[in-house]
Amino acid sequence: MSSSAPGAGGFGRVGAVALIALGAVLAALLAAAHVTQGASSVGLPELLGLLVGGSDDQAAAVLVASRMPRLVAGVLVGVALGVAGLVMQTVSRNILASPDTLAVNAGAYLAVVAVTAFGVVLPVVGGGVVAFVGGLAAATLVLALSVGARGGGTVRLVLAGSAIALALAALTTMLLLLFPERTTGLYAWGNGTLAQTGMDPMLQLGPVVLVAVGALFVIARPLDIVSLGDDTATTLGVRVRRTRLGGILIAVLLSAAAVTIAGPIGFVGLAAPAIVRLVAVRVPGMQRHVLLIPAAAVTGVVVVLGADVLLRLVFGGQAAVAVPTGVVTTIFGAVFLIALALRAKASSDGAASGFVIGATLSPRARLLVIVGAAALLVAVAFASLLLGDAKLLGGDIVNWITGRAGPLVEFVMNTRAPRVAAAILAGAALALAGTVVQAVARNPLAEPAILGVTGGAGVGAVLVITVWPLATFLGVTAGGLVGAVFAAAIVFGLSAAGGLASTRLILIGLGVSAATAASTAMLIIATDPYNAAKALTWMSGSTYGRTVPQLVPLLIVVLLALPVLLSARRELDLLAFDDDTPRVLGVAIGRSRFGLLAVSVALTATAVAAVGVIGFVGLVAPHAARALVGSQHARVLPLAALLGALLVCVADTLGRTFIAPAQLPAGLLTAVVGAPYFVWLLWRSRRAA
Amino acid sequence: MRTPAIALTAVAAASVLLLTGCGTTENAGAEAADGAAISIVDDRGETIELAAAAEDVVALEWNAAENLVALGVTPVGVADVEGYTTWVKSEPLDDSVTDVGTRGEPSIDAIAGLAPDLVVTTTDLPESAISQIEEFAPVLVVHGADASNGIGQMEKNLENIATATGREAEAAELITEFEQKVADGAAALEAAGLAGADFAMSDAWASGGEVSIRPFAKGSLLSDVTEQLGLVNAWTGEGDAVYGLASTDVEGLTVLGDVEFLYIASVEQDPYTNELAGNAVWQSLPFVQSGKVHRLPDGIWMFGGPSSMNDYIDAVVDTLAG
Repeated sequence: MSSSAPGAGGFGRVGAVALIALGAVLAALLAAAHVTQGASSVGLPELLGLLVGGSDDQAAAVLVASRMPRLVAGVLVGVALGVAGLVMQTVSRNILASPDTLAVNAGAYLAVVAVTAFGVVLPVVGGGVVAFVGGLAAATLVLALSVGARGGGTVRLVLAGSAIALALAALTTMLLLLFPERTTGLYAWGNGTLAQTGMDPMLQLGPVVLVAVGALFVIARPLDIVSLGDDTATTLGVRVRRTRLGGILIAVLLSAAAVTIAGPIGFVGLAAPAIVRLVAVRVPGMQRHVLLIPAAAVTGVVVVLGADVLLRLVFGGQAAVAVPTGVVTTIFGAVFLIALALRAKASSDGAASGFVIGATLSPRARLLVIVGAAALLVAVAFASLLLGDAKLLGGDIVNWITGRAGPLVEFVMNTRAPRVAAAILAGAALALAGTVVQAVARNPLAEPAILGVTGGAGVGAVLVITVWPLATFLGVTAGGLVGAVFAAAIVFGLSAAGGLASTRLILIGLGVSAATAASTAMLIIATDPYNAAKALTWMSGSTYGRTVPQLVPLLIVVLLALPVLLSARRELDLLAFDDDTPRVLGVAIGRSRFGLLAVSVALTATAVAAVGVIGFVGLVAPHAARALVGSQHARVLPLAALLGALLVCVADTLGRTFIAPAQLPAGLLTAVVGAPYFVWLLWRSRRAA
Repeated sequence: MRTPAIALTAVAAASVLLLTGCGTTENAGAEAADGAAISIVDDRGETIELAAAAEDVVALEWNAAENLVALGVTPVGVADVEGYTTWVKSEPLDDSVTDVGTRGEPSIDAIAGLAPDLVVTTTDLPESAISQIEEFAPVLVVHGADASNGIGQMEKNLENIATATGREAEAAELITEFEQKVADGAAALEAAGLAGADFAMSDAWASGGEVSIRPFAKGSLLSDVTEQLGLVNAWTGEGDAVYGLASTDVEGLTVLGDVEFLYIASVEQDPYTNELAGNAVWQSLPFVQSGKVHRLPDGIWMFGGPSSMNDYIDAVVDTLAG
């Protein structure tokens, strides 16, 4: 180790510049490989022929109208996402901030799908504007929710961003399911692809990207200082708020431009700046934005082009058309994120802030809330039995219970009752799992879906569905279980070394979660591009077609888990408090964490196997419960379970009734019902923060 | 501790009120059946036993709905009636048909409410949903398509549905009519000097700045029908195992020579004339330069039965030899 401190003068700077130049050379080599690949036979010989003045018109056309636009798109997207992610991370001082977590990608994608689904046909440019507006709107919403709070702002930013991204993604999936013919192909585009039919989008957005990056160079110095912390920056005379706002706006502009060009290309905005920061720590003089910005731009290009080149190397020029580049960048990014997390110091700074949102109720009111939630669940379950495509009346249910119902009521109840039960059980299970994971990881973001456990179950199940189209429910369940356990083993296994320190766990979880989503997309697109609806439905969490025997594993696990968790309520309280207290009080931290997490994995896996991937419940229900009754798990656990059951039951009922005879998967409505509540929770807690 | 007690009482009271305070929606049902028994082995290998030819049939896939109408059976329920009306023009549904929801997750309530004698669906429907429907009606499960036997699967689906509804004679007639259509079409194309001509068939869509093209590879129903007309599919890439569909982009079309380029556009968009018209690769393609790009009329269901294929043959013959 040399003793060179930051700013150790010319020598360090030269090394940094040399490194960036090296990256640029690598990018240029990738670009050269990139233009030789494609769906047609135009390769290196034909392109060299053109260089020496050959006159193959078609090869020239392919180069000019297909390869070059794709290359330019890749370069612009790489620059835009790399730089946008860097700036978002700087101003929020949060390594998780990126176009993905600020919901820019989700907003832009939703806008494009909505316009298509409702049959509005726009020229390329119009479509671009739509994506741009959607991305900006989503980011504005996220920012509006996260500004104004002093302290805790970075956690709120990512919380608001994840919540809104999930809700927007749910709306998008809903449209894809409701308008399958009109939106053919948008599922693939939604994963990001560089293919272009002309230079127009790049000619229009290229200047935007260049000007935005240029503007960032102008504020490079204030950005350096802002990254040192608010107080330091204020002392040094930097207008922190203005710099942050400017930085964020430019970053949003850049990421919206990238989505407009290529669709939501995942994880580049997270991975590229993370790589740069990892390198910058070791290179004296590199941690200045004047150098970080070009470094992030170059790294972004390398990641995007590298993914695209690799894709065609593996699948061949023709087949690669079907598999979007974003799938590969996401898997790249995910693996990198996990590696990064493993190297990172096991810190848990800032993770706990915002964990408990003020509970102001009196002890008696708290009990009343729990009993009230139980009462509400009974009423909602009852209404849920009556509602649906065929509306029943209370007397029908009495007849059914007493075995005197006619064939229609008998049948409707026989199919509907298991669905209601599935919704309630799965909701309770996911909420309990979320409560445990949040407490153990001491992180408000932690929940089975964000940690990739739910996604792992999804991959397992979709793998079974795609490989074996006539798979029985048991086969799909087994696939889901294996996937969930596998994902959990990776996430918790890799982070166990650091004592499940919060930051590392979340980083690894996010990586696995993204990788599972991308793998599922790849599986569907590559094996059965024209039957996405089946897998999408399953992945969106649905009680459709559930029967009583299918609920048995879930019922057993919930009935076993509830007493186990309640008896561990003191440990949960202590683990959620801090690292030292439980140790001082003699709690075997490692072992109780492992046991508690094993329970939550079992809950998640059986819930996913029973109803598919339902997100948001594990995030929302524990938050809502703590907001109402404080942080003691003796009260939080039962209330979270009730609220989770309520949320999924309401979502399922709406999905079955609202657009009957058509229906929507419960998981989508969970997000749409849950997100506004979550947003309200964030908004309300501004005062408390 | 008074409040929880009050609340619990309220819950109990509310439940009793809810359970007793309402009427019922039905009294009791009665069923009757007569006629000759029918037995069919469907594409799952399950044997479907019917006491008599099915009259009230629900179709959960458009292909099945089209075949039913063609056979003279108006289905009592069809999944996604609006979509059917837009995409399948060959056999219109009348207003009496009930919409039973989406094709992905049809409403089992709605199907049960129609008290059908038979439900026809494809292997795409989840098995658990199929077994729920089987509690109240026999279910005939067919493969949506089979890329190793396009026309054969189409005829098999028609025949299975015909057997179940006692319309074997009509089915035989439809198949004869289809074969005649193929023969006439082939003759017309030959007369126009097109026998053995290369063709490519595709549809396409635009999303973002990208145009995705879906060529119908060998083994797809449309490819098999067009080859029966005496043309040769110039697209040699592979399609998927069920529908025989490939995917490519405009660059991928450079493998095609001076072919007859047929396409069906999505009802609302035509990427070939909108997005690709000014593209240099598109303009460099031999069939574009020689003006052999042909848009077929809307509403020809590319995965349908003999009726849709008849419309397709008419469209091809009118376009190329008309």
